[in-house]
Amino acid sequence: MTSRRPLHDIIFFYSLALPAFLIVVILSLLLLSQLGMSIPILRVQGLSTYTTTTWRPMYDPPPDRAWYGLLPAIWGTMVSAVIAILLGLTFTIALVVFMEEIAPRRVREVFSTIIDLMAGLPTVLYGVWGLAFLGPLLHKYVMSPLHSHLSIVPLFSCEPLSGATVFTAGVLLSIMITPFMVALVQESYRSIPYTLKEAAWSLGMTRYEYVLLNMRMIAPSIASAILLGFGRASSETAAVTLVVGNAVNIGFCIFAPAYTISSLIANQFTESQDFPYMLNALFAGGLILLIIGLIVNTIGVLMLRRVRF
Amino acid sequence: MKGVARGVLAGLVLAVLIVAVGAWLLIGERAPQESTPTSTPTEGSSRVVLLGSGSTFVHPQLDYWAKEFAKRHPNVRIDYNPTGSGTGQTQFMQKVVDFAGSDPPLPTKRWEEALRDPRGVIQMPVVVGAVVMVYNIPGLEGRLKLDGETIALIYLGEIEYWNDERIQRLNPDIKLPNERIIAVHRSDSSGTTHVFTLFLYKASNGKWPRELVEKAIEWPVDKTGRGLGGKGNQGVADLVQRTPYSIGYVEYAYAFLTKLPFALVRNAAGKFVEATSETIAEAAKNAYPKLPPSLEDDFNEAWDAIVYAPGEDSYPITSFVFLIFYKTYPKDKAEAIKKFIEFINTEGLKLIVPGYIPIPEEIAKYNLRALELIREG
Repeated sequence: MTSRRPLHDIIFFYSLALPAFLIVVILSLLLLSQLGMSIPILRVQGLSTYTTTTWRPMYDPPPDRAWYGLLPAIWGTMVSAVIAILLGLTFTIALVVFMEEIAPRRVREVFSTIIDLMAGLPTVLYGVWGLAFLGPLLHKYVMSPLHSHLSIVPLFSCEPLSGATVFTAGVLLSIMITPFMVALVQESYRSIPYTLKEAAWSLGMTRYEYVLLNMRMIAPSIASAILLGFGRASSETAAVTLVVGNAVNIGFCIFAPAYTISSLIANQFTESQDFPYMLNALFAGGLILLIIGLIVNTIGVLMLRRVRF
Repeated sequence: MKGVARGVLAGLVLAVLIVAVGAWLLIGERAPQESTPTSTPTEGSSRVVLLGSGSTFVHPQLDYWAKEFAKRHPNVRIDYNPTGSGTGQTQFMQKVVDFAGSDPPLPTKRWEEALRDPRGVIQMPVVVGAVVMVYNIPGLEGRLKLDGETIALIYLGEIEYWNDERIQRLNPDIKLPNERIIAVHRSDSSGTTHVFTLFLYKASNGKWPRELVEKAIEWPVDKTGRGLGGKGNQGVADLVQRTPYSIGYVEYAYAFLTKLPFALVRNAAGKFVEATSETIAEAAKNAYPKLPPSLEDDFNEAWDAIVYAPGEDSYPITSFVFLIFYKTYPKDKAEAIKKFIEFINTEGLKLIVPGYIPIPEEIAKYNLRALELIREG
């Protein structure tokens, strides 16, 4: 450092650094308290907290018979998030290509506005809609036919008994994360230099080949949209709690009611201090959610940086 | 530029570490923390606030009482926070509230602890609650009849279809459909679940195990994929309403609101009884002799006795809802609490929210003994 910086510049620097720094502190405190609250249950049950399927709260009878296994909730979280990603990606690519390559400008603007609006809706609204309309609709026109014709496929092997299933949760989540994924993919798609696009056309590519080429160019951003979308889907709470069925159940069939980690926490947190270790078990669930979220989001953000032209 | 960025980054990491370690130590220091009682707000003698918390079920009724009470005693305000029975009890034990509302009474262990405390403890049943079996069977004609054993088998996942002969036998005059039963239960911890599972234990001829009597349990039916969880009475009622061929249990007051049909349930005398204010009050009357001699005693036996109570016309899934008080209060609060207890056990018996059932006269009289027990100090 050769030249001294003027005082106002230094003050400006610190006034910005402090709040920024605070966020980092808050995140680490969050991680820490999650960890601290999880330790008691991990001490009692060990890592089998994450690998067992029994969720048996007990208070009055001997509490040593109680057990809090999080595997069904972790499984439900994963399954619903994967369904959401698969469907969400289909919607996303279709929407981006349609808006960028096919739709006239007016139509595109209308679509853009609608998608932005969808992203801003309160999640509980999606949940109530899912419970009242989407669930029964999927039950009647999607799940029941799939089960009766394709019940050999393990995924569809169980009879859907109501609209509240892990499949419904996945579909609802896909609708909720699509606007977010579209925003990410569309931005990259737009950043493809026009010279490259022109070159593609000049080579006489068909529209299909052209779109495929463009998609290859922004592949990292699609991957990051998948990861970030996964992060969102796995942590969504209010809407999922209403449609997932809230039953401790684990299996390959996606037409059965299930639990997710966040819906388990939402349902049982309020009175969990009444049951020895239940609160800690819920925190342990939160911890795994936080860890998954951190990993997935970090990779997602790193991938996004790789799109450069 | 890179060097500066790296320096800032290193600084950040270091700072985070320091804060983290500091916080870690701090958290470690503060072992189970003794909570401080709320200091009585220094409001002079003119205005008293009584803080209560607990049972969500009793909330509408208690609110109504509080409003009516305030009309008669404008200097007392009663704030009741519907946090759930368990939280209410915990806050009572921590002395952060003036009274608690709870569906079950204090568990024996907690009651013993409260009794040893200098502030003492008084419990009293203030409302009678009932759990009804709501169902959604499209096209069903006639009223479904069930007994403790069939309900237990449904929630154990052993009875799978509505036309199972064990249900059909109880309903010889109804044609039941050949559809799978979806058993809806509470997904949150709840006093309603506690009452319901206690009934199943007592009325199912040993089919329902004792260890599944709790506010939140591991539902055997979930494992079959035929169980569904709803949050709160409202959540359960919603799911039953939207799910054909389902059954669920909710507080009587909610069935009253949603207009879902509910089953007649076989009582201890072997009769199928509909839940009405008369049959529910009858169960309470028949449980009266089981109340402990003093309000300071353990109420678990009495609570146990009202579920599946004796009597020809008693509705079997009935329970008391309790208010839990301390024995000693600061001067102005003691006055107010006494007035409130007197109010709910005299005039209050007639000020009842639709769907709620008042306690019988003899129990109200029994409750009024609290007026001699509560002291200043």
